[in-house]
Amino acid sequence: MKGPVFCLEDVKMRIGGEPLLDIARFELPVGSCTILSGRNGAGKTTLLKIAAGLRKPDEATVKTSSGDFDWREARPMLRKHSVYMHQHAYMFDQSVSDNVAYGLRKAGVPAPERNEGVRIALEWAGLAELGARNARHLSGGERQRLALARARVLSPAVLLLDEPTTNMDQEARQQSFFLIRRLVSEGTGIVIASHDRAMIGQLGDHHLNLTDGKLREVDDGSRPAPARAADAILHSAGKAP
Amino acid sequence: MGEILRTTGDALILLFSGEAALWDIIAISFSVSLRAILVSAPLAILVAFVLTVGRFPGRRALISAFNSLMAVPAVVIGLTVYLMLSRSGPMGDLKLLFTQTAMIIGQILLAFPLLVAMSHAALQAAERDAWETAITLGAKPWQAMLTIMREVRFGLLAAVIAGFARIIAEVGCSMMVGGNILGVTRNIPTAIALETSKGEFVQGIALGMVLLFLALFLNFVLSFMQGKGELS
Repeated sequence: MKGPVFCLEDVKMRIGGEPLLDIARFELPVGSCTILSGRNGAGKTTLLKIAAGLRKPDEATVKTSSGDFDWREARPMLRKHSVYMHQHAYMFDQSVSDNVAYGLRKAGVPAPERNEGVRIALEWAGLAELGARNARHLSGGERQRLALARARVLSPAVLLLDEPTTNMDQEARQQSFFLIRRLVSEGTGIVIASHDRAMIGQLGDHHLNLTDGKLREVDDGSRPAPARAADAILHSAGKAP
Repeated sequence: MGEILRTTGDALILLFSGEAALWDIIAISFSVSLRAILVSAPLAILVAFVLTVGRFPGRRALISAFNSLMAVPAVVIGLTVYLMLSRSGPMGDLKLLFTQTAMIIGQILLAFPLLVAMSHAALQAAERDAWETAITLGAKPWQAMLTIMREVRFGLLAAVIAGFARIIAEVGCSMMVGGNILGVTRNIPTAIALETSKGEFVQGIALGMVLLFLALFLNFVLSFMQGKGELS
């Protein structure tokens, strides 16, 4: 068990006086992949950032196995258990290895353990040869894989990906899909903001659409049952300390 | 023309003869300006950081204010500090007028807006994405701040160098609040002004060469840093 599943309720957000989000319930399940679709400007990025504890909503309640919290109170927990990835992942001006080690360093993981974690993560992403290279000099696809490895090394309960395959060629996309599927099978809950049809078909266990600030489930043949799985985990998380 | 060349030659001899009085003036210049920049730079970078990451009312107005304050002439800052520190001024009891401390205060005020504006520009270039990435990967806000500073280190260094270049060459403020006392508050620019007014060009030219060399060197480093910043 990697961490509690959490769920955002009554998420309200206005931008420049205009309502952007008015969401009754947004679940962040473990071990499944949710695709979040919606036109540009619908608020997908904002919703993901709220879930990651990066963007403050006007209102939101965070339900966890240990109780209900106001978003502000829950922010450290959201930040601890989730990792948000930008559309164009930001790479620190350091080597590939140092980028992967970043989160482990901040968490105070001792060097031998950290180096081992970095080595495994780089191998996992197929970047073992590039450890010493400056991360800014990687191609788009390599950067994306590095960003996934950098997130994976922290074992987040939830990974929030914002349009991860924009401007990527077919091969790079397939490599990213592959890694995302592996993350799901390893138990990570993934939410992907995307309008990539192929992604919805290939990765989505669950498809949510965000329109006019409301979130609704789309039944387009993507595999069901994540809700049940999440409920089961929520149940078991309740027993965890 | 021959006269100027001869004087310049004498100035070079004076410089390299290691005359104590001349090198005293140079040392005072560096000591005062380095201390001023050491005090103002960390504070200015912190302010610039708050202006970059913070979301609060009046933020834009503050940014504009710092940009505008860069234009305040050195003599006006000198006049203000003089009024504050003079015997009848609000801080007259501190007896700081005509001391190096007074010069440092003046130079801090002179450098501060420039440091804030340039650091803000540098930090802004790092984008909000860098901050969010650091936070989402588990950095605490102060750790994220250090990360961002590392990301834009060339830009920040450029700001500090530009600030230092401005205050070490500044004459108006130092003259007014320092009083140009030999061995205490006489620095390179005030010494040049004095020697020139007396018609003693040799020392003026010698000190001018030091300042010129320093200015060229700092600007060279500055443009090198900025170029490096773009490449990375």
